[in-house]
Parts: sequence; structure tokens; C-alpha cells
Amino acid sequence: MSNSNHNAGADILLDIRGLKTYFHLDEGTVRAVDGVDFTVPRGTTIGIVGESGCGKSVTAFSILQLVEKPGRIEEGSIVLNTGGQNRVDIAALDHDSEELRQIRGKDIGMIFQEPMTSLSMMYTVGFQMTEAIRLHMDVEKDEARDRAIEMLQAVGIPRPEQRFDAYPFELSGGMRQRVMIAMALSCDPMLLIADEPTTALDVTTQAQILELMQQLQEEFGMAIMLITHDLGVVAEMCSEVVVMYLGEVVEQADVDTIFHNPQHPYTQALLESIPRLGHSHEGRLNPILGSVPDPYHRPSGCPFHPRCTQIITGRCETVHPEISRLDPRHTVRCLLHEDPHG
Amino acid sequence: MIQYILHRVLLMIPTVFGISILCFGIIQLPPGDFLTFYVAELSAQGESVPEAQIAQLERQYGLGRPWYVQYFLWMKNIITKGDFGRSFTWNKPVSDLIWDRIAFTMLITLLTVVFVWIVALFIGKYAATHQYSLGDYIATFFGFIGLAVPNFLLALLLLYYSLQLFGLSPAGLFSPEYQDAPWSVGKWIDLLAHLWIPIVILGTAGTAGAIRILRANLLDELHKPYVITARAKGVPERTLIWRYPVRVALNPFISTVGWTLPDLVSGSIIVSVVLNLPTTGPLLLGALLQQDMFLAGSFILLVSVLTVIGTLISDVLLAWLDPRIRFS
Repeated sequence: MSNSNHNAGADILLDIRGLKTYFHLDEGTVRAVDGVDFTVPRGTTIGIVGESGCGKSVTAFSILQLVEKPGRIEEGSIVLNTGGQNRVDIAALDHDSEELRQIRGKDIGMIFQEPMTSLSMMYTVGFQMTEAIRLHMDVEKDEARDRAIEMLQAVGIPRPEQRFDAYPFELSGGMRQRVMIAMALSCDPMLLIADEPTTALDVTTQAQILELMQQLQEEFGMAIMLITHDLGVVAEMCSEVVVMYLGEVVEQADVDTIFHNPQHPYTQALLESIPRLGHSHEGRLNPILGSVPDPYHRPSGCPFHPRCTQIITGRCETVHPEISRLDPRHTVRCLLHEDPHG
Repeated sequence: MIQYILHRVLLMIPTVFGISILCFGIIQLPPGDFLTFYVAELSAQGESVPEAQIAQLERQYGLGRPWYVQYFLWMKNIITKGDFGRSFTWNKPVSDLIWDRIAFTMLITLLTVVFVWIVALFIGKYAATHQYSLGDYIATFFGFIGLAVPNFLLALLLLYYSLQLFGLSPAGLFSPEYQDAPWSVGKWIDLLAHLWIPIVILGTAGTAGAIRILRANLLDELHKPYVITARAKGVPERTLIWRYPVRVALNPFISTVGWTLPDLVSGSIIVSVVLNLPTTGPLLLGALLQQDMFLAGSFILLVSVLTVIGTLISDVLLAWLDPRIRFS
């Protein structure tokens, strides 16, 4: 594989290679994640972007083996480096093993799209938080309580002692997402996976939550994997970006390169399709041609070719491009950038 | 919470009052009364009843007066003296006849509800978490059979086969030697040995229904985001299923207690007749046929009160179980 050594020197927290997660449905097999490689460096924020259905959420769910039937991780490795020589391949663990459960919530915390339904309405905020704390830390009930209240304070919830005994339905959406973040970070994880954490919130709350995540990252030093379709959020939050299309990573680079020197036609098209203040005189927005193909009928060759404006007729329809490395921290999967040595 | 329960208890009073009027009204609806039945019975046997005797009986029981006067007298005696009136057919005070029967009915009903819940909870949970597996299909298959086969038929079959195969008669709640014996350890064991049969028979349809309800509810809940959150926290799968989705799926289960109770009481009449159980069913049937109005009325009243209490219990349980109800 062409990118095998590219991060040898950097401190890699999570190394995903050749990840394939398929859904076996009656209508056929949906290859939601079809050979994804990327790495998450320790302590940084990495953004995963792409249209709906590109497999970004399934990738995130695969990392904690949360993909439900009929979905299944078919191939690949997800190696978590918890420090020193402690490496675990999460993809190889049993889905209900003690080892995996110790990673879930302890090494890797996760927050979700829907704060309104992500907490159980049957139990208090305090119960749900201390449950996580007591699963992973060797503490007594009242120590767990103190820890939970401390975390509620850290995520900016006013009067945390009272909120500890509140039920989630007594809180607003923004407050619930703060509780989710407090819960996910309560065991001091090395990675926080945030699956579209602000999609269901109103705009002002979105900004607050994102700011909170940045502030907590400075405080706790965890890496963040931010799944989003909002490129504005990516520009503000992330240092590195992974662009996905139809279950594949089409381009990965640092945030400046993605925004100022994108190489994959899909990345370029994505950037052209977002409205920008002060650019209205340029006229109409350029939407990406067509729509995401039917998951049961993936296009042959490069999956993006039916929508691509720079198609090389005769090649793109038949040849599936390999990953090309443009420079050490910039990879792209496109025939326009075929590696002359590959 | 206490305020909520108090509120509910206060609301019960007008409900029971309304029910009692309705009961009495319905019992009075058919033309004639016990005396008409009594006279007809005697004349069928070729005897005649002197007019004077009829008039005397009519006065004694207030039968000739308007229904609301009769109702008022009846209620007054119940509330002030605990006197439910007199059964004409048995020629005994109603209260001598009913309490034993009510007690057995309650015993059988409660045990049946517990049986239904426990069996349905475990099978329903299994069927939902193993959807479309062999076990799920088997549970579904027996579930539909249980729903479709009438209870009395099940009772008849059981009686027939236990007599054919084992020479035993499982009817009644006691073996003949204990029937009129005073309570003893032996009698209790004998009771328990007989009790499971009506419980299983009466519980079959309820269990089948409850399994379907729990399975459907649990399937709705199993893939909700809060379940995934709990899994992402590292909660073990077994704990997780019971603690989160099952807890929510139990709601409709609890709220059915309200109608499961009266259903078991009234639905068990035919089974009780077939199995010769000393419950309220057969006695109520007889009382209704013979227009033994105080006996029938008292039964219906008490069963209604039990239903109202059952609903109250289910509401309190529900509020205890689900904070959303408790807080609204």
C-alpha cells in the first residue's frame, strides 16, 4: 500500500486500514465503507466530510463496533495505540468482549447527532453519567457523583448539582448535548468521536457546542474525530480533513491544503457548492452534478466518474484509481494524479 | 407522587358510584324479578303460590318499589352494615356466599397475571433480541395458537387427556378428601397442585398477547440512539438490554393490567364452569339466570371495584416506572 510509512514518525493514536463495512440486505449488499484508510494523530482534530450516505457515520460507528445488523465489518484493521507499545486491533475484538467494552467509553468516547434521543428518558442525568464512570474507574458511588458534577461544570452547565438529579427531558437540546459531551469525556478518553454533533441544534447553540469542544480539547488533550457535512465547521475546527465519497476516502490533507489547493474533482466540487459571504457577485452557486448513486449499483471504475467534470473518457469508467501521494501529508484517489511510480 | 395517588383515589369515588348505579340498572332491566322466576318455577312443578304469600315476599324485599328506592336501600345497607342483601336462591346473606369466591378469584387472577408477565417478559425479550431466529418463530407460532384457541377448549382438552392418560381429574381446586377439610399444610399443597392448571389455561391467551406486545415494543426501542449511547459507554450487552430498552417497552405492559384484571375475572366464567372452580364466575352466571338480583349485583359491583383498583395500581406502577408520567 502506497501510504504505509507516511506517518511513521508522527504519534498516531488510531490507524485505520482497508476498513470495509457492508450491509447485507435482502435487496443486495450495500458497501457503505469500502476500503477506508486514514490515521488520527494524537491530540488533533480530524474532520471526516462528505455527502449523506458517503459512509462517514458508518466509519465512525465501525471504530467502536457499533454497526448493527445487518451491517458487519468485513475486512480491515482499526489499531488503537493507547500509549507506548500498547496496540489493539479493535476490528478483531468480539463485539461484546470485556476488552472492547473497556475501550468503549474509556479510551474512546462518542457523541451523536440527536441529543434529544441519545439519552434515556427513564434515568436521571446523574445515573447515566455515573454508570459510565463506575464502569471504567475504580471509584465509590459518591466519588463518581463528584466526578460527574465536575464534568457537568466543565461543559458549562449551570447549577450542576441540581442538573445531576434532573431527567434529560427537563433539559434543552443544547444542554443535553453538553451532558453527552460531559459523559463521553468523563473517563478521560484519548479520542472523542463526534458524529454530526451540531446537526440537530440551532445555529447559536451549534457555535457554543463547537467552541466548547475546542476549549475541552485544550483542557483534556484528547483527539477529536469530527464527522460533519458542514465545511464551515471543518475550516474552524479541524487541522486535518478526510473527504469521503461512496465509502472511499478520495482525498486526505491538512485543512489549508483542502481549502486552498484541493486536488480531487469531488473536493473541488464540494467547495464550489458552498455559498460564501462577499462572493455573491460571482453569480450562481455551482452544485455538484447529479446525485449520489443508488447504493446497490455502484458505478464502475472511479465511483465519482458519472458526476465528474474532469472525466478522462475511456479510463475513468473502467479503472478504479489507486491512492496517489502528492506530498507526505496529502493523498488523493484520482486518475488525474496517478502515481507515475505506482 | 403522594399527591398524584391521592388525586387518583378521590377520582375513584364518583367512578365507583357511577358503576354501582349502572350495575343495578342493568340487573333491573330484564322484565320480571326473582319472584316472577320463583312463581314460574313452582307452577311448572304444578304447585300454585297463594297471592298473599307473593305480596308478603314483595313487601319484605321492597321489590314492588321504584328501582331507585331499591338501589338506595341496597347501597345504604352495604355502606352502613356491610350487608349486600340476601340471595333468594340460596336463602343466605350474599356476604356469606361471595367472600370465599372473591378470594379464590383474586388468588387465581393475581397468580395468572404474575405468570403472564414473567413468561411474556422473558419470551418476548428473547423473541425481540433474536428477531427472525428459530426461537422467535417458535415463540410466534405458539403465541398465535395461544391467542386463537379458546380457553374453555384448552380446559376441556386438558381434562379429557388427564383423565384418559393418567386417570386423574384435575377439576376444582381441591382433591375430594380435602374439599371440606379445615386448612392445613396438606390442604395448601393440594391447592397448589391444582392451582397451576387454571393459571396456565387462563394465562395462555394473555401470555400470547403480551409476548406480541413486548416483542413489538422492544423491536421499536432496540435501535434507538440511547441504546447505542449506552453501548458506546461500554455497558455489557445483557445489562444494557434489560436496563434501557426493556424498561421503556414495559410501559404498555403495565398499562394493560387495568384491562387484564376484569378480563380474567369475567373471561374465566366458562373455564371456571368447565374446571369446576370455586370462583365468582359460575355463581354469577347462576345468579344472572335466576334473576337473583342482590347476589348478581353484589358480584358485579365488587368486580367493578376491583377493576377500578386494578387501574389505579397500573397507573401508580406506570408513574413509578416512567419519570415522564410522574413529572407531567
